[in-house]
Amino acid sequence: MRYKLPLIALLLIALVAVPPLFGGGVQYALVNALIASLFAAAFNLLMGQGGMLSFGHAAYFGIGAFAVLHLMQAVEYGYMGVPTVLLPLAGGLAGLIGGLFAGYFATMRAGVYFSLVTLALAELLFSLAPHWEGIFGGEAGLSSMRMPWLGFNFGTTLEVYYLTLVWVVLCLAVLYAYTLTPFGRLTQALRDNSQRIRYMGYNAHTTKVVVFAISTTFAGIAGGLMAMSNETANYSIFSTHISAEVVLYTFVGGSTVFFGPIIGASIFTLFGFVVSGATNAWLLYQGLIFVLVMLFAPKGIGGLIQAHIDQRHRLPWARLPLPYAVLAGGGVFMSLAVVFFIQSFEHVLSNRYQAVVARTGEWPDYHLFGASWDPLSPVTWLVPLILFVPGVIIVRKAAARIHEMWEGQGADVEKSEAAPATSGGH
Amino acid sequence: MTRNDDVVLAVRDVTKSFGGLEIMKGVNLDLCRGERHALLGPNGAGKSTMFNLISGEFPPTSGTIELQGRVISGMSPEAINRAGLARSFQITNLFARLSALENIRIGVMARHGIRFNLLRRVSRMKSINAESMQLLERVRLGHRADTPAGDMTYSEQRSLEIGMTLATGADVILLDEPTAGMSREETAYIVDLIREVTTDKTLIMVEHDMSVVFGLCDRISVLVYGKILATGTPDEIRNNREVQEAYLGEEAA
Ligand SMILES: Nc1ncnc2c1ncn2[C@@H]1O[C@H](COP(=O)(O)OP(=O)(O)O)[C@@H](O)[C@H]1O
Ligand SMILES: [Mg+2]
Repeated sequence: MRYKLPLIALLLIALVAVPPLFGGGVQYALVNALIASLFAAAFNLLMGQGGMLSFGHAAYFGIGAFAVLHLMQAVEYGYMGVPTVLLPLAGGLAGLIGGLFAGYFATMRAGVYFSLVTLALAELLFSLAPHWEGIFGGEAGLSSMRMPWLGFNFGTTLEVYYLTLVWVVLCLAVLYAYTLTPFGRLTQALRDNSQRIRYMGYNAHTTKVVVFAISTTFAGIAGGLMAMSNETANYSIFSTHISAEVVLYTFVGGSTVFFGPIIGASIFTLFGFVVSGATNAWLLYQGLIFVLVMLFAPKGIGGLIQAHIDQRHRLPWARLPLPYAVLAGGGVFMSLAVVFFIQSFEHVLSNRYQAVVARTGEWPDYHLFGASWDPLSPVTWLVPLILFVPGVIIVRKAAARIHEMWEGQGADVEKSEAAPATSGGH
Repeated sequence: MTRNDDVVLAVRDVTKSFGGLEIMKGVNLDLCRGERHALLGPNGAGKSTMFNLISGEFPPTSGTIELQGRVISGMSPEAINRAGLARSFQITNLFARLSALENIRIGVMARHGIRFNLLRRVSRMKSINAESMQLLERVRLGHRADTPAGDMTYSEQRSLEIGMTLATGADVILLDEPTAGMSREETAYIVDLIREVTTDKTLIMVEHDMSVVFGLCDRISVLVYGKILATGTPDEIRNNREVQEAYLGEEAA
């Protein structure tokens, strides 16, 4: 507990002080990371706290966005006078109403059936939206402009960033506080055993609907922030891709820890901004990372961090950095091999390259990592192999060593727990 | 028979069919205020089904169930719980990732009508926490307050189940095989615990082994193939010819 508050304070100071040092591009990436964080935290209220895995959260993110755009248009055309800073509230309201309605039906079923109902509802919206021009603006979607308020004209990305930051921090604080309330504890009981709470006097269905609606309210606020930042949105915001992305962020970040989804969303969004400019295979990498995390750290990044915090008194901190560094080094070798492989394919299989092959009948060299490579030479394909194999060996060795250290500590734990009992006689 | 106002739970001609198969075949049972009643019977007799009917898991096909003079058959489990009846389950059924204390606290919160409260910090609710801790200590798990329920030993979990059943403050308690899967020592321990915590309650518990309930319960009902074969004091049941043939004989064989 003691380390948490200073850490959060430090992070907040950084979030306020650092962005002005960067350009609009980075600021825009940060805005998106903040929004994704809130979206993932809202999603995880339902999934990590309530035990309900929604495959259609894009629906509430989307209706939040459209609600805010409608309100922005109303303000722009002078029908209403809502300060720009309050616009995201409309997104929350839309998310709440949508969530009450959809949640009522979806939560009648549990498990896979629940997930499929949420998926179907979002798909329904995705296919209807382009045709409902009045609400969703057809294929082109809706656009509007942020109006000045109290001397802020919200014209720069930095201003939008700060507005988003305030909203996201406030919402995350509320979501965190939620977990400490009686209803927050009930939500976790619901996750663990939705049948038992019925026999303890709680209406499980109503409880689920409320949890669902709170989650969608915050998803709607996140969508609203997105609309406010982009000043536009179209039906593609309802796509499965958006729904899947938030699932991915949450699992990679770790659903069992409050900050897990926030970590996952931030890393993926920022990494995406860096990488998607350099490669078309970003989604492939994203999927790869997801699979690897699920296989080797199923509790996600947050789960790993939490495990270290839980065991902090028992871990041999002085002896850990070396095997961790070795593990990371081996990981870099393997990653380089995989990236080399995928990027080579991307080059050689691209339309442009294939057109050259078709025209000339030759396979010219391509450029990667500051060198040129002959796709027909075995040497080229030996490079990833030479990187990969030692990488695997190093990683396995280091992992075994780390595992040993953790397990070894486990034995110590038993000893130290037994100690007070034996010394009790003194 | 007992006077009517002494009856807190009345099961009247209850039948239950699953897909045309009649599992309960017209059951009558009166539970008197303050008594400890055992429901005895071989596997598959319908004991758990009877508990499911009483606690609202599903409605009877015909017949009625009354709690304190009020018809509860057809009501939802949560409504029946609020009317003053709580049950435990044959198979351990708790909140595995919540601490032992929190498992109890969920029930204590319900008892005080705290259901949708999003405005208070649960750790600051002194009386709720004190009451939960007190109950946890009554089921002798005070030292395990912070342990996740899923990490406790099986017999600790069974004790916790009893605590959770008591937590909502119900006066009528249904325990479904609280000693299932326990050693002789553990059984003795849990029986002792049940006696202790149900002093001011009305209890009906399912049990397989007749010797377990003889010292604990005031009356016993024997259920065989969806029918109550006999109800009476332990001695009456022990000496009942029909029971001996249908149930005890089977045990001996
Ligand atoms: N929900 C149900 N659907 C169909 N059959 C059931 C259901 N519940 C119980 N039964 C059947 O009813 C019979 C009695 O079961 P149960 O009440 O669990 O017995 P007991 O608890 O006495 O061992 C069994 O044959 C069981 O298969
Ligand atoms: Mg049973």
